[in-house]
Amino acid sequence: MAMITFSRSQLISAEFPDDATIRFHGTQEDHIYAMGVTMDVRIADGTILAIQGWMKRYTTPVCPKAVAVLQNAVGMKLRGIEWMSGIMKNIGQKGCEHFAEIINECGRCLDQARMARDCAALLQKDPSADLAVASAQWLEDHPEKEGRPVMVTIGKP
Amino acid sequence: MTVAFMRNKVVEVEPVAPDELVVYWRLSDDLLNMEMTISVRLPDLEIIAADARVHRGIHRGGIDAGDAVKKIIGVHVGPGLRKIVRGLLGGAAGNVDLTEGVLECCNAVILHFTLPAIHMGEGLKDLPLDEQMEMARFMLKSNPRLLRSCVAFADDSPIVMGLRA
Repeated sequence: MAMITFSRSQLISAEFPDDATIRFHGTQEDHIYAMGVTMDVRIADGTILAIQGWMKRYTTPVCPKAVAVLQNAVGMKLRGIEWMSGIMKNIGQKGCEHFAEIINECGRCLDQARMARDCAALLQKDPSADLAVASAQWLEDHPEKEGRPVMVTIGKP
Repeated sequence: MTVAFMRNKVVEVEPVAPDELVVYWRLSDDLLNMEMTISVRLPDLEIIAADARVHRGIHRGGIDAGDAVKKIIGVHVGPGLRKIVRGLLGGAAGNVDLTEGVLECCNAVILHFTLPAIHMGEGLKDLPLDEQMEMARFMLKSNPRLLRSCVAFADDSPIVMGLRA
């Protein structure tokens, strides 16, 4: 067995400071780059309300200018057609691709975090609740959640 | 304030033979635990094997990640990759975490090859700023695709302007 030659870790956490807002903290660290963002997002439509970022490791003396470019994300939405491409174009190409990767990961966590919050609340009320039923109902009630889930396959022959 | 949700992701590249890299990818959050393994053959960077498993999830139905990810076998890590992978895995109708996971694996392969050159430049960080800029210009000349890819290689960047002066 050889050594690992490249590794990247991402950590995203989500808080709900009020009923209308989700606050993400996202970091990405690998052998080359390390940076992170904190951003507030309006739950109703996925609009980025505020964002801050920092860089720890980068490759050129100009890279830190990308921190200021992050403000272009305010007003952009983490929903809709091609929203990830929009972030990559406006934050990635004009600033830093790795900031864009973190924002996009936060965006992909938006509905997952809402569902997790609602499932946790359900289990608090009813510890025997069937999460498969609850998640199916959640998806029906939230058509804004794009795509399809993956199903558990471990143990499958 | 306690957090309501956390997601951890990791992607790792391991050379398992002179002509083969294996990429390990894992995602774990409050609702989902999924892993993927992709093998890439050198030097043409063809994906020769792909597998994915979901260890934990709350959905009773949905996409079989293992079946879905096999569609990328035969794809080459290179130009047009995003469009090809998103097309194969269903785009907006597929599973975004799985699709983007594949792209993250492929990006890790590219960064595996990028790292040695970055590492060679490590000793130059104590050089005067203008010499660091020269190094960045050398990087751009060696890889013209970097032009306009980010703020460092934008038209008004001191790196690019110095190159054109």
